[in-house]
Amino acid sequence: MGNVVGPAPSRVDGRLKVTGAAKYSVEFDVPNCAHGWTIESNIAKGKILSIETKDAQSAPGVLVIVSHLNAPKPKQPAVKESEALTKGIRNEMRVPFSDDAVHYAGQYVALVVAKTIEQARHAASLVRVTYAPEDPLLTMEDAEHKAVKPKKNLGDNVQIKKGDVDIALQDSNLVKIEQTYTTPTETHNPIEMSGTIAAWEADDKLTLYDATQFVKGVQSVLAGAWNLAPDNVRVICPFVGGAFGCKGAVWPHVFVAASGAKAAGLPVKLHVTRRNMFVGTGHRTPTRQTIALAATRDGKLQAMRHVSQTLTSPVGKYVESCGARSTGVMYESPSIWIEEVIYPVNIGTTTFMRAPGECPGTYALECAMDELSYSLGIDPVALRLANHADNHPTKSVPWQEVLKETFKEGIGAAKKTPAFSAKHLKECYSLGAEKFGWAKRNPKPGSTHDGDLLVGWGMATATYPAHKMSAAAKVQLRADGSAIVQCATHDLGTGAYTALTQIASEQLGLPFEKVKFELGDTAFPFGPVAGGSNTTGTVGTAIHEVAQLLHSALAELAVKDSKSPLHNLSPNDIAMAAPGQLGSKSDHSKSDAYIDILKRAGRDSIEVETKLKEMEENKKFAFQSWGAHFCEVKIDPLLPRVQVSRVVSVMNCGRVVSAKTARSQIMGGFVMGIGMALAEATEYDPKTGMPATRNLADYHVATNADVPLIDVYFVGEPDFAFNPIGARGMGEIGITGAAAAVANAVYHATGKRVRDLPITPDKLI
Amino acid sequence: MNESDAPVDSGLEEFDELLILSNLETRRKFIKQVAGTSAAITIGPALLSAADATATSQIASPSKSNSDSISMTLKINGKDYTVDLDPRTTLLDALRERLHLTGSKKGCDHGQCGACTVLVNGRRINSCLTLAVMHEGDEITTIEGIANGDELHPMQTAFIEHDGFQCGYCTPGQICSAVALLKENHANSDDEIREFMSGNLCRCGAYPNILAAIKDAKTKST
Repeated sequence: MGNVVGPAPSRVDGRLKVTGAAKYSVEFDVPNCAHGWTIESNIAKGKILSIETKDAQSAPGVLVIVSHLNAPKPKQPAVKESEALTKGIRNEMRVPFSDDAVHYAGQYVALVVAKTIEQARHAASLVRVTYAPEDPLLTMEDAEHKAVKPKKNLGDNVQIKKGDVDIALQDSNLVKIEQTYTTPTETHNPIEMSGTIAAWEADDKLTLYDATQFVKGVQSVLAGAWNLAPDNVRVICPFVGGAFGCKGAVWPHVFVAASGAKAAGLPVKLHVTRRNMFVGTGHRTPTRQTIALAATRDGKLQAMRHVSQTLTSPVGKYVESCGARSTGVMYESPSIWIEEVIYPVNIGTTTFMRAPGECPGTYALECAMDELSYSLGIDPVALRLANHADNHPTKSVPWQEVLKETFKEGIGAAKKTPAFSAKHLKECYSLGAEKFGWAKRNPKPGSTHDGDLLVGWGMATATYPAHKMSAAAKVQLRADGSAIVQCATHDLGTGAYTALTQIASEQLGLPFEKVKFELGDTAFPFGPVAGGSNTTGTVGTAIHEVAQLLHSALAELAVKDSKSPLHNLSPNDIAMAAPGQLGSKSDHSKSDAYIDILKRAGRDSIEVETKLKEMEENKKFAFQSWGAHFCEVKIDPLLPRVQVSRVVSVMNCGRVVSAKTARSQIMGGFVMGIGMALAEATEYDPKTGMPATRNLADYHVATNADVPLIDVYFVGEPDFAFNPIGARGMGEIGITGAAAAVANAVYHATGKRVRDLPITPDKLI
Repeated sequence: MNESDAPVDSGLEEFDELLILSNLETRRKFIKQVAGTSAAITIGPALLSAADATATSQIASPSKSNSDSISMTLKINGKDYTVDLDPRTTLLDALRERLHLTGSKKGCDHGQCGACTVLVNGRRINSCLTLAVMHEGDEITTIEGIANGDELHPMQTAFIEHDGFQCGYCTPGQICSAVALLKENHANSDDEIREFMSGNLCRCGAYPNILAAIKDAKTKST
């Protein structure tokens, strides 16, 4: 298997998407469906005193108004945090409408259900809610007394101490920098707003059409909430209109839609408004990151300290581990100190957004490295090469592995930290520098011009861990040589439909056009959350396993069939010999076609399904993807608006399964990084805690005019130590380091180091 | 359409029609339609149901008993749809919620993202910012009407070929917008295409591929 699977096909779902035929969640045609419109709190903290619904009740078309006073109450679904990735994720732990408490501005306090959207919206404007407000905590300073240092985040240590950082930071022979970098609240804003159609088919049977990254998670959480058998909750989501993390957890609107439908006795469609996408479906916490670096004069890092302060809500549970996921993995250093502090404030709950932790973490770290390169007078690429980590800098090899290695090789032979598997970061730097023309860079800030414009060149390292989860898959092979493969996974625009069809075609040994891959339905075998860039590798592995099951099942039929050339052979001697053919491993002259085996057995089709099993991890290695971004900006010195004019990104993500969609993933990641670097910020009213930017005219994402051509290259080989597909995933790595590459280019152009994102013109004047 | 036949557009006049109330003809039409709406409300449901009987293609309505709705005929993708609608219904909600033409997307409901872009008499507009009742008699083209039967429009083919989308949710709006862009003669350079396509947001960041697709479709359609 090469690093790239065959030619780059266009998306298998492309035709559906360009003709408007792809059905997104709230677009399913459910008969007699009523519409919901929510009412949100306009205070950040306090109690609801009254909800006056008389006028609204008598407005045309209104069916029911639901609030904590009358809501059919689900119970608190018991999902342990350790089971979140298999049993459903909840970042906001409170069930909506459970009491009169308000924890943040924009919290849902009531739902109007009416026959049409217009009626529901109008009636919602007639509902009067009175509150007893209390003083909210809105900033880290407000919540100082409530700050906590969480030990772990999704099982990973987030407070890390290796060596003695203080000694190195006090060593006068070393070159040091210490700076604080801040990033604002960023909101995912996929163009498809979240939404749910909830339909109770019976008292104990619920169907949800939900925009989600995790159909099985929604199933499990809603079944827990309403005390239903999981099989009685069906969740359908064949297309997701972008997510970036905000559709991974089960958010309040899903419970609200189910409550509304229960109360109205009709299916209810609740399309979250763009306004509420800034509150009720999570956002990336603002971060304040202080980084101290100390290096020898020839550029060897001796100490790295990364203290990261982030927010969560009183009803939320989320850690954006900036330090552990950037400084904790990136460079070799004898001492590393990582600290994460979280502050609960009365603002909507934070959640994972594309490369959670890594994205803001690499922004801060890679800007700090740029600053260090200037303090040392060393080229930024050379500085990174000097500190390249062959082994994981902060992860220990498990004692079982140490024991094994010691037994085999003798005492002292075992490595203390695992080596990174199939790491080709040095090639990312060299190819990127070559394609970009980095050698021609004059390092002096403000030295490069294009006519009247200032020109800046910056670079940064990208990194994202390879995550592995468990999935199962089912395949039905038909006698006409076509196959349907199913897994309850998701395509958020990532290209999963296409990449998984390619993997299935390769693993099953069937032509690409003959394989149909189906996803997004809890009726299919288990697929985990489409998060952490895990889907291609995780579901790909399940497809690999189901293909082997299919080959075994066909072999069983063939050996019993006197007319088969494989008759009476041991099934263990049989494997796929060529596409569509099983053959004897010991005698290459003996082979039989899948379709002939089926036809002679009188079968129209054959179906096999894998069992969901515990994921096996290769603990010998550390698995992480790498990359390097090189970026050019042009700035008019009179009105210092930054225009990104050229980008080269070189990535090392293991195997590239689907070349076309893979390139798009990296490109899209960088585009979001441009938005993060230059424009995106959700601002809050400092008195009331209400988001002040609650629409796409105030929250500026990158537009077509903001984005140049982006050259993407891939290096390296398949990482088969990680999984049988060799793929480490690419949904998130593109955004890591992107904002730093832009910010470093801005410094090179102007000599101004802006350490507070976004870099808007006012900060450069 | 042959690109060179397109009138050279200063780019200014289209703003006239965007500012609906500053355009005499459009304003008159708007007032007339709103007046029609009020009349319908005063006439009441009895007459409305009589009007229904003459409908060319009546859409079933769960809120038919609602006395606030009025009957109207919308011409979409060359087909007449007669439907009872609440006069507050936006063109976008009429398409998506009542006519089951869900290809036009709701991405903000504020005219800020462009996902709902449709062509009205050949011009691109945000269907979430206009009421359905204002478009009786207009030729409305949605993404469902861009292809010629089973044969995709060159813009659709180019979007597939150049991977001009990821999640696909902004795509119908991007394609409608791009089709209009070529007719406006606003695709003469990369920067011009980028600028005139910047009303259509793509959060997946497919912009460079969208640009490539538009340039390719332009070459193929001239």
